[in-house]
Amino acid sequence: MTWQSILEFARGPFFYAALLIFVGGMVYRLVNVIGLGWSKDRIPTKGSKAAGVVKSFFKAILIWPFIPWVKNTFKRNPLIYIGGGLFHLGLFVVIFLGTPHMLVWKSLLKFGWPTLPLPIVDWLAVAGIVGMLILLINRLIHPVLKLISGPAEYLAWLMVFIPMVTGYMMTHHLWFQYEVLFSLHMLAVDMLLIWIPLSRISHFMFYFFARVIHGQEFGKRGVAL
Amino acid sequence: MPEETIAQSLIKKGVSRRDFLKLSGLLATAMGLTMAPPVLAAEETTKPLRSARINHAVLEAMETKPRLPVIWLEFQDCAGCSEAITRSNSPTLVDLVLNTLTIEYHETLSAAAGFQVEQAKEDAMQKYAGKYILVVEGSIPLGMEGNYCTIGGRSALDLLNNAASGAAAIIATGNCAAFGGLPKANPNPTEAKGVWDIITDKPVVNIPGCPAIPEVTTGTIANYALFGALPELDSLNRPKTFYGVTVHDRCLRRAFYEAGKFAKSFDDEGAKKGWCLYKLGCKGPTTYNACASIKWDQGLSFPIQSGHPCLGCSEPNFWDGGGFYQGQSAPLDRPGVTAVGAAVVAGAAIGVGNILVNQSKKKAQGGAE
Repeated sequence: MTWQSILEFARGPFFYAALLIFVGGMVYRLVNVIGLGWSKDRIPTKGSKAAGVVKSFFKAILIWPFIPWVKNTFKRNPLIYIGGGLFHLGLFVVIFLGTPHMLVWKSLLKFGWPTLPLPIVDWLAVAGIVGMLILLINRLIHPVLKLISGPAEYLAWLMVFIPMVTGYMMTHHLWFQYEVLFSLHMLAVDMLLIWIPLSRISHFMFYFFARVIHGQEFGKRGVAL
Repeated sequence: MPEETIAQSLIKKGVSRRDFLKLSGLLATAMGLTMAPPVLAAEETTKPLRSARINHAVLEAMETKPRLPVIWLEFQDCAGCSEAITRSNSPTLVDLVLNTLTIEYHETLSAAAGFQVEQAKEDAMQKYAGKYILVVEGSIPLGMEGNYCTIGGRSALDLLNNAASGAAAIIATGNCAAFGGLPKANPNPTEAKGVWDIITDKPVVNIPGCPAIPEVTTGTIANYALFGALPELDSLNRPKTFYGVTVHDRCLRRAFYEAGKFAKSFDDEGAKKGWCLYKLGCKGPTTYNACASIKWDQGLSFPIQSGHPCLGCSEPNFWDGGGFYQGQSAPLDRPGVTAVGAAVVAGAAIGVGNILVNQSKKKAQGGAE
């Protein structure tokens, strides 16, 4: 078996299967969460629910990340805040604004969009990788985090870290032949796709639900958030 | 006359000493010899050779080595690799191989045809048994007991096995001979194979490409002729000198890739300005070949320079490696609406099933979580 055939497997049938498992798995998770049911709304609405949702998203995406020091979360755990922020920013830019990834989206969705120059994507990828390392070290030495971290937490970290590192190495042609790194990258991504619905990484979807539910709750009660 | 040295045969043809010296210098360059093991061995030194000494090593080899008989077989091919060699216009290396090395048998190039030429091949194979280089062009079909490709009533498989048994080394030129190429593309009706899938007891050098770069094929033959050894090979048996780096690494449009400047269609502003062809499906980053450095037609141009993305023709199974104009990073296959729909329905069904089971459990347990 050559790396070429491994690559063909990872880009072909394995990716195909992983993508379908990912889609099916996420729908499964969603149905389960919806199946938990809503409590009946017996309290009269004070403010606007919709406005609460809009405000909640607006602040979480466009305001808090740029003035993090006003939040208690930041004051208590600046390391987690910065590390986590860098990681998420890097990940989003690489996945959506890196040219090779945009071409993956394009091949799946049949439409593309403009991308950022490589050096920008590259430095943000480094920021993401450094962020992940900071978070791992913190998890390993923080007395409380250490206690509440089990194999699932470290596995989730590894599952995300391998695609990021192999992708970075591939971009810079480090140490291995291109198809070796491409194979490892794709195998790791395929496994990640299968792993996401089974794990807490599914928060990428539930985050938006949580925001909507909390936002409308805040809006309904008329609280400033 | 294999006992005649390469130098003698050249001088007989009226090549002057000065031209001969130039030729060996060019040959050393074309073979990409810098610190190649055969050169080091020839000089019996571990010190890296300076250019003059490499030149000297080649010169000495040409003066002492006998001419190398070559037998060239064609199976499921388009003769494109032979075409490339005859049209390469390279005045030195290719000339040397075609005129000076003795090509004893070549279906497309030989003036004679029929049983006489087959007999000539048999004679040559006996006369130079164990000494000749076998060049193979085209893939070998194994389906229908090998009867998809026959020459003079014998199957390609039979001819290959026969010729390979007496060969000193085998050079598989072009993607078909190396990895099966176009005939092996899905669904591979003839069950085509590359040479190295069949011949395992002889050294096989792969010179993939569609066609193979003529200077690479002849450079490899010349390497054997001069140093009696094959060049250093990578994991796919390709000479490292020529297949050591990707097309992307030596591409003249690389700077535009780094800068994020891409042609988005074949006639847009980016294409006119010579920007990177990555978004048009260029496979340069995963393709190991010397196109971007040796180029074609005496270094005139190569596909990417002329405005067409790399197809990855020196890699195994490049015909089935995703669309030629689809991004190099794109997955090979895209799930259709039906497949995604089935996944969604399956996920939802299992989810609903899970909820129902949980509810019935809850009822049984009296509402406990």
